Amino acid sequence: MAIQGIDLARQSLLDALDLAILVEEEAQERYGEFADQMDQYRNADAARFFRHMVENEAKHGEELSSRREQRFGDAPRKVTRAMIFDIEAPDYDAARAFMTPRQAMEAALASELKARDFFEAALPSIQDAEVRELFQELRDEEVQHQALVQAELAKLPPDSGISPEAFVDEPAAQ
Amino acid sequence: MSATIEYTPKDYKSDLKPIWCPGCGDFSVVQAIYRALAAIGRPPHEIAFISGIGCSSRIPGYTTAYGFNSVHGRSLPIAQGIKLANPDLLVLAAGGDGDGFSIGGGHLPHMVRRNMDIAYIVMDNQIYGLTKGQLSPTSQKGRSTCTSRHGSLEAPVNPLLYMLAYGAGFVAQACPTDLAGMAAIIEAAIRYPGFAFVNIQSPCVTYGEESQQLKSLKAISENLETIGHNPADRLAAMDLAQDYGDKLHLGVFYRNPEPPPTYGDLVKERQERLAKDAIPRENILDLFIKK
Repeated sequence: MAIQGIDLARQSLLDALDLAILVEEEAQERYGEFADQMDQYRNADAARFFRHMVENEAKHGEELSSRREQRFGDAPRKVTRAMIFDIEAPDYDAARAFMTPRQAMEAALASELKARDFFEAALPSIQDAEVRELFQELRDEEVQHQALVQAELAKLPPDSGISPEAFVDEPAAQ
Repeated sequence: MSATIEYTPKDYKSDLKPIWCPGCGDFSVVQAIYRALAAIGRPPHEIAFISGIGCSSRIPGYTTAYGFNSVHGRSLPIAQGIKLANPDLLVLAAGGDGDGFSIGGGHLPHMVRRNMDIAYIVMDNQIYGLTKGQLSPTSQKGRSTCTSRHGSLEAPVNPLLYMLAYGAGFVAQACPTDLAGMAAIIEAAIRYPGFAFVNIQSPCVTYGEESQQLKSLKAISENLETIGHNPADRLAAMDLAQDYGDKLHLGVFYRNPEPPPTYGDLVKERQERLAKDAIPRENILDLFIKK
C-alpha cells in the first residue's frame, strides 16, 4: 500500500475525490482479476464472491464519480492510477487457487482493513476541512464494509480444516 | 516518438488473462512493468518484449508491446538481434532463474561485455515451476524437490554477484513486497543507457518453500537506500550482493555513474565513419565477382 506524488496533507477536494475514485477502481479491477483466476481453477464459489466485490467497488466508485461531477464537472484530473499502489485492492499474494469462500472473504476483509488504515493514517495531517470530512466518510465506509463482510463470514460454516492444497496432484515422479 | 501523448499503465495491459497460479509473484511484476512503461511514456508499438521459456516468460503476452515468448534460455540473443536491427526500439528481456542462469547462463557475460541498451528482468523463484518443481540454479543447497528427495548437493548461483563481477553497469533487486519500489527500479533499469539487470524475488506459491513466500521475504528485506548504500560504489555493491539468499536487499546495487557507450552507439559511429567509403548496396555482389 503506497502512494506517490500526492501530498495528502495539502490535497484539494477535487484531488481527494479523484484519489478515492481511483482507489475503488483499482480494487474493482483486482477483484475482477481474482475472479478470473478462480474461474481458471474452476473455483466457482470464490469466483462468485470476488465478482460480488467487483460490483460493490464499482457501485461505490460510481457514487464518488457522480459526486465529483456534480461538484467539479469535467475538471481535469491530476491524480492518476500510476500514483496509487494497492490501497484497497487485495494484495496479489492473497489469492490461492483452491481458496475456500471463507478464505476469499478473509482476503477481502483484510483489504477493507488496509483501506481503513490508509484513510485513518492520513486524517491527522489533512488541512482542508472538506477533504478531512471526505476522508472520515471514506474511513467509516470501509468500517461498514468490514461489518458487511464479517456478517457474511458469520453465516458460513467453518472450513473443514483440511487444506484443499493437500489434494493437489503431487508433481509426477521424475 | 509521440511524446505529447500521456500513457497510463492500462495502455500496456493486453486483453490476455494471465494463467499464473493465483498468488504468484509475477502478477505484481507485470503490474510494476505497466507502471514503469507508463512513466517512461513510449508507445507500446515502440517496445519489444522478449522472453525465454517458463512461467515468468509468459509475461510479454500480458503486455501490449510487441512480444516474443521465444526459446529456452535465448531471450538475450534474440533481444540483441532485435535491438541491432531496430535500435530505436525500447527492448526488454525477461525470464526466470532457470531460463536465465542455467540454459541461458552462457549469454550473460557476453550480454554484459557487449553492453547493448536492453533491460533484463529475471523473476527469480528458485525453482522450475512450469515443469512442476525441480531444482533451479538458484535453489538453496539442501532443497528437497521431486528430483532431489534427499536435498540438493549443489550451492546456488548468486545472480547479483555474477552480474557485478561480469561488469554490468546497472544491477538491482526488487520484490513484490514493495510494488512502488519495484516499478521505480524497473523504470530506472530501462532508463539506464546500457545493459541493465534486475533480479526480482518473485515467489512461486505452488512449489516454493514457506521461507520464500512474501511474508518471509518481507521479514528479511532491507532497502539499500535506507541503509545508505552508494550505488556508484561497485565494491560495496559486491559486498552486499554476497548476502543473496540470506538477506533481501532491495534497490539499486550498482549504477555506473559514467555509463560507457553502448554497443549500438559504437555500431552507429562505425557505420557513419565507414559510410563514405562503403560500396553501394546494389554493388555488393561485385565483391565476389572476378573481373
